[in-house]
Amino acid sequence: MTRFRIADDVAWVSQEDLDGGDVPTAYLTRLPGGPPILLEGSGCVVWLALSEGGTMEEIIAAAAAMSDSTVEEISADVAELVDQLVAIRVVAED
Amino acid sequence: MTGEAERMAPIAARVHLAHAVVQKLAENHGIDLLHLKGPAVLPGLRAEGRHSSDVDVLVRPGHLFRLIGALESVGWEQRTTFATGSVFAHAANWWHDDWGWVDVHVSWPGVTLDAEDAFDVLARGAVQRSIAHRDCPVPGRTAQRLILVLHSARSGGTADVDLAWEQAAPEEQDHVRRLAAELGADVALAAGIGELELHRNDPTYALWHHFVHGGSRWHEWRARMAAAQGARAKAELLTSAMRVNRDHLRMELGRPPTRQEVRARQVKRVRRAVGELSERVRRS
Repeated sequence: MTRFRIADDVAWVSQEDLDGGDVPTAYLTRLPGGPPILLEGSGCVVWLALSEGGTMEEIIAAAAAMSDSTVEEISADVAELVDQLVAIRVVAED
Repeated sequence: MTGEAERMAPIAARVHLAHAVVQKLAENHGIDLLHLKGPAVLPGLRAEGRHSSDVDVLVRPGHLFRLIGALESVGWEQRTTFATGSVFAHAANWWHDDWGWVDVHVSWPGVTLDAEDAFDVLARGAVQRSIAHRDCPVPGRTAQRLILVLHSARSGGTADVDLAWEQAAPEEQDHVRRLAAELGADVALAAGIGELELHRNDPTYALWHHFVHGGSRWHEWRARMAAAQGARAKAELLTSAMRVNRDHLRMELGRPPTRQEVRARQVKRVRRAVGELSERVRRS
C-alpha cells in the first residue's frame, strides 16, 4: 500500500506557527531553490493531514476529521490534491 | 495552490522559510553557521507575537566566502558590504525577491575576541531549533541572552533586555557575565544592563554611551575614534567619515544612485558635519 509523506527537502510553516489568522494556511518550499507555495483552506487541511504521513485512506480520514466533513464528501478532492503535490515533488510516495 | 500569491507570503512566513533555505545551503556546502534572533530565539527569551523582518545568521568567518557563493547561487544579491553595513563592519545584507533580507554576521557587536574564536565559543553550547520544520543550529540559552542584551545595547535599548536579562535567575545572569568575559564583551554587556559607568576608563565607553543614550553624529565619530585601536584603524575611520555610504543610498532610493546623487549626498553630509561643529563651537 502506497504511503504519502512530506518530502525530505521541504520546509513549511502553517498559520499556527506564526500566530496567524483563522483561515488554515500553510507556506512551503522545496529546499534550497524552490519558490514559495501557498496552501489555503482545504489545501492546508490536506497538508496538515499529510504531515503525519499515511496511506491515501488515512490522509482522507484525517482531513475529514479536521474539516468536519465526511470521507465521501472530500475523498476525490483530497486524492487529486495529493497527486498534484506529488507531481511538484513536495510530497513523497513510499 | 496559489500562483500569484506565492510571491506575497507574509513576512513572518518568508523569514521562517528563509532560515530553512539558508540552513539547507549551509548543510549542502559544509558551512558552519548559527541562526540568530527572530524564530531562532529560544522559548521564553522573546515576547510572544514578535516577528523579525529578516534572517540573521552568524557564520564561521573562515566559511564566509562559501556562504556568499551559496546564497548567490540561489538568487540572493548583495546589497551592503561589511565595510558599509554598520559601525562595527560586522555584517552585510543580501536580498532575495522571494525570501527577503539575510543579514550575514561574521561577529557580533560588542564581542572583542577574535571572530573565529568567538564563533567557536558561541557554537560550543549550540542547540537545534526547529524552524519551518527544519533543524537549525542556534546558540544555547546563555549565549542567546548575551546576544539579545548586546543587540539591545547597540540599538539604544529594546524590550529584549527584560526577558533576556531582568527576568533571568541570578545564576543565569552569572553564566551570562562569565560568557561575556570569555568573549571580551564585558563593556557591551554593561551597556545593555545599566552598568556602563563601571567602565568609564575603557576606550569603548564613549561609543557604548552613544549607542545607549544617543547624541549627534559628531559625538558618534568622536566615540568611534576613541574606540578605534591603533593608528591605522583611526586613519581608516577618518577617511570613511565623510564618504557617502552608497549601499545605504541605494536602499533608500530603491535603485543604484547616480553620480550626481552621490555628490549631492556628499555635500549634505559635509554641511551637516560643519553645522554640528559650528553649533558646538557656539555653545563652548
